Amino acid sequence: MTRLSGGLIDRDTPLDFTFNGKNYQGFKGDTLASALLANGVQLMGRSFKYHRPRGVFSAGSEEPNALVELREGARQEPNTRATVAELFEGLSARSQNHMGSLERDLLGINDLFAPFFAAGFYYKTFMWPKAFWEKLYEPTIRRAAGLGSLSMLPDPDDYDKGFLHCDLLVIGGGAAGLAAALTAGRAGADVVLADEDFQLGGRLLAESHRLDGAEATVWAAAVQAELASLSNVRIMPRTTVFGVYDHGVYGAVERVADHLADPGGNVRQTLWRITAKRAVLAAGATERHIPFADNDRPGIMLAGAMRAYANRWAVAPVKRGEDPIAIFTNGDDGHRTALDLMAKGAKVLGVVDPRPDAPRFGDYELFAGATVTGTKGRLGLRSIQITRDGRSEWHPVGALGVAGGWNPNVHLASHHRGRPVWNEGILAFVPGQGGPKGLHPAGAAAGKGATAQALSDGMGVAIAALGEIGIKAREITLPEAEDRDQKQVAFWHVPGKKRAWVDFQNDVTVKDIALAHKENMRPVEHLKRWTTLGMATDQGKTANISALAVMAELTGKSIPETGTTIFRPPYTGVSLSVLGGGDTGPDFRPRRLTPTHGWADAQGAVFVEAGQWMRAQYFPRPGETHWRQTVDREVLAVRAGVGLCDVTTLGKVDVQGADAGELLNRVYANMMGTLKVGKVRYGLMLREDGHAYDDGTCARLGEDHYVVTTTTANAGLVYSRMEFARQCLWPDLDVQLISTTDAWAQIAVAGPKSRALLSRVVDDFEISNDAFPFMSCAELTVCGGLRARLFRISFSGELAYEIAVPARFGQALMERLMEKGADLGVTPYGTEALSVLRIEKGHAAGAELNGQTTAAMLGLGRMVSQKKDSIGAVMSRREGLAQDTRRLVGLKPVAAGKQIMAGSHLFAQGAVQNMETDQGWVTSSCYSPHLQSHIALGFLEDGDARMGEVIVAANPVEGEEMKVEVVSAHFVDPEGGRLRD
Amino acid sequence: MTDLMPITVLGNTAALAETFGALIIRENAGLALASLALRKGQAAPSPFGLALPGVGRAITKDEYGAFWTGLDQWMIEAEGKAEADFAASLRAEAPGQSVTEQTDGWVAFDITSDQGAAPIEMLMRKLVNIDTRSFDAGSAARTLLGHLGVFVIRRSEDRLTVIGMRSVAGTIWHDLSVTARRLERQSVAAVSDR
Repeated sequence: MTRLSGGLIDRDTPLDFTFNGKNYQGFKGDTLASALLANGVQLMGRSFKYHRPRGVFSAGSEEPNALVELREGARQEPNTRATVAELFEGLSARSQNHMGSLERDLLGINDLFAPFFAAGFYYKTFMWPKAFWEKLYEPTIRRAAGLGSLSMLPDPDDYDKGFLHCDLLVIGGGAAGLAAALTAGRAGADVVLADEDFQLGGRLLAESHRLDGAEATVWAAAVQAELASLSNVRIMPRTTVFGVYDHGVYGAVERVADHLADPGGNVRQTLWRITAKRAVLAAGATERHIPFADNDRPGIMLAGAMRAYANRWAVAPVKRGEDPIAIFTNGDDGHRTALDLMAKGAKVLGVVDPRPDAPRFGDYELFAGATVTGTKGRLGLRSIQITRDGRSEWHPVGALGVAGGWNPNVHLASHHRGRPVWNEGILAFVPGQGGPKGLHPAGAAAGKGATAQALSDGMGVAIAALGEIGIKAREITLPEAEDRDQKQVAFWHVPGKKRAWVDFQNDVTVKDIALAHKENMRPVEHLKRWTTLGMATDQGKTANISALAVMAELTGKSIPETGTTIFRPPYTGVSLSVLGGGDTGPDFRPRRLTPTHGWADAQGAVFVEAGQWMRAQYFPRPGETHWRQTVDREVLAVRAGVGLCDVTTLGKVDVQGADAGELLNRVYANMMGTLKVGKVRYGLMLREDGHAYDDGTCARLGEDHYVVTTTTANAGLVYSRMEFARQCLWPDLDVQLISTTDAWAQIAVAGPKSRALLSRVVDDFEISNDAFPFMSCAELTVCGGLRARLFRISFSGELAYEIAVPARFGQALMERLMEKGADLGVTPYGTEALSVLRIEKGHAAGAELNGQTTAAMLGLGRMVSQKKDSIGAVMSRREGLAQDTRRLVGLKPVAAGKQIMAGSHLFAQGAVQNMETDQGWVTSSCYSPHLQSHIALGFLEDGDARMGEVIVAANPVEGEEMKVEVVSAHFVDPEGGRLRD
Repeated sequence: MTDLMPITVLGNTAALAETFGALIIRENAGLALASLALRKGQAAPSPFGLALPGVGRAITKDEYGAFWTGLDQWMIEAEGKAEADFAASLRAEAPGQSVTEQTDGWVAFDITSDQGAAPIEMLMRKLVNIDTRSFDAGSAARTLLGHLGVFVIRRSEDRLTVIGMRSVAGTIWHDLSVTARRLERQSVAAVSDR
């Protein structure tokens, strides 16, 4: 055990956990990393590329090394940072990315081949032979790549989402964040305070500085208590604000139950969208290191992290308590670590500081003007080489803290393309102008990291931010705090021949950066991609600026001239489960059910998804073993008797107003204003570019009242397009629109006996052919007084109607029609039979109206009225479109019994099959039980003049082809006598 | 009167009601709806004595109500008249305007709290991107709930109505009930939820 005294752990609550199967004990308040360190475990993982032994490097979410697999079974979670994994009773963790044991990783052999794995390795190595890429190289690389493994089991936990609104969002609960939140909270502003840690305080928890003469945690706890007492403040620990989005929306993940072994009925995580009028970015700063030879051994970590482990978690990060610890720093800040460790009773070797005039702040050995030039220790640091004035000495140590300065966490400020700017005074990038509007950096995130500065900046920034939205906040009394200027020099790396790691997670060394420079991959974005610097789970939080500095040195430019990387969301990894919002399986997306869904289900219908709708596809009967049997039966029943199909899904738009007809004239290609009351007309809409858009019927129920029907797929689109036309194109028209798709259950009653059936349900309504001919419509009552609408329209080519009743009565009407039509052989049919019926009749549907076809191609060219203008009419006559000679035709296989594949392309017999000779394609195909043959529809060049010609339907990709005869698209009743009978 | 038996939006014969801790969610199968849109240049009428509300507002008077749905457009509500021809009644109250039957185009879920505003607002925070601070009694909004567009009406501090497309009633019920159930489970933690 290497526990020290004090700390913010609860020693009365010990927690048992395992790492790689071995039992350990920590305390409540520990992270997995602090608990492992307390047990003398330094080795926690293997590096990505070279499989080098690695230990914990930081004490926060920036961790590049200590990635573990957490938990067991379905909750197994790869690539979890041990530094932020809260310890809980029974936690089990495993190291990852090794073959064999962690200590004897067989893939450690990669390290011996390091010279071959230099920057750009993939790009250079796997160039040839070309064929090897897909079959050999890529699979091999993919096998070797990646760190942790997935359980391959479904996530058993529940995830949630939510929305918050506030005046001020405070991101980070350290000194600046707490001061900002308290200032705003006291001013009565609605405040959300989010912090990724489970305890508020930020660096106040990690430092030994006192506030008002007491431990900083006393002040932090008092502030937290006051904030908790304010009803206008919401405190959200374990919540990472990961991105800034448009309109002041911030994405945040609250880890509700990540710190529990089992969420116990609670959600695991919640995705919050926080709409904030203003935000304070008090995200603190991340310490950077100083690359030197072999600087990646377990036991080498950031000096600031060392302070956190000592002060917050009461841990000396060594294997044995008596092992001495050394500090390597380029400024005053690192010295604090030595002082804090000594105050806690840890053994300190001394401080290595490259400044010849480095100050000494306490009773420790000072190696002024010196650097660390080497390390030893296979699985953990055993000694370091300190070089001064050309003389080198080896010193045994158990750990080394490295302090290279602090980088403000500018990440969120650089979303929305905000560019950080270089501050030479603190040798770091700070948030620049042009970042997210309303986001104000404060404290260490703004480069003001001394505690007193952070406190007063947090307060000041909150006052200013609230002032912008008219909330007057007063200054609060801040505690007395340290305000020492931390001097440092620009010392970015220790030059040398051996490998010095810059980016630990991706095994990028100074040499790799030098190579990238040599190979002219000098711009930052090139450097990143050539070397993989800054990629993967840590996104280079501890590496990016050091790498820039090294590149700057090599190019002889300044750091700001060399550039900066910008950051995209998310700040840290966000699980897909929480982004999904919790709904999986059948609840993953909305399901629209028709009014007769329950009835169809009870009939044993097989359903098919049509957009969001679930539609009955066919209704199998006992004894039917293949869907085709069912569909053939349903089709023949419609042709011979009467069938029923729920067609509620077709869009319905109610159009009213004095100019209703005029609006319809302008959105339909054909004339609608002339339609007589009580009549229905088939209508075609064009897109603005002149292509066919949607078809349907338009019924005129009154002088200034129409009902437009659309295809199922385009129902919402057509409605919104009509609204656009009404509101934006022609606001002068007196016309009002509203969707009624869901309001009316609509049932198609089709077949020669449909009139007989309907006559049994209508109330005192004359339904004879003379009184209610083809393309009539009426409002009437059915079944003893229920209001209904009747349309005599046909999609099948048979005598047919569609009857609509208020949706709640749809199922009852369906049942009534089934009951009343039993002697007529009434048969429910699904979308499959509906499709066969319309192909037999040659009616266009989605496959023909696919956005590439014109009215002329559909054989509806004359519907585009020349007498008026309408959307797309002029464009439909443009050169290039009007000359398209492809026309809708019917196709029959020459060899009986052969199926014509939809999607096949059409060619003249004997022609070479390529793009130039392509004459069209097959759009729809089915077996016609009526014709007892496979049939198809398709578009064919000059198709209307080629009846009887035999052509080829081919699939050149698969080398398949068949001969087909060109016939009329109207396989059934081309004269249309049946539907008019 | 027709002898056809209506079914509810969820395919049942009786409207659903379920309790989730402080919240009760009830399907309001009796709510009749009809849209009212003004013809060009017409003054707003006062159907059933309702003073038609402005942007983002809703009002109720006796069994009638109205909420704003767009420029010169409202949805007019009538409790317990879902099976009558309410559009015809409204047409008589607003002659010369565009009236469309909407009753069965929608499902209405009434959510009531027996512990004041807090449970209602907690539910809202999990479901809709609406600032509960300013969404007081008489507020109405068209917004997204899950993946679906809905109307949300704050009838009073402790009563909310969610009106969505009838065909997706099952999905809306899923969203409401799953969320309410989660909040019920978290009710201990919810005491400190602000």
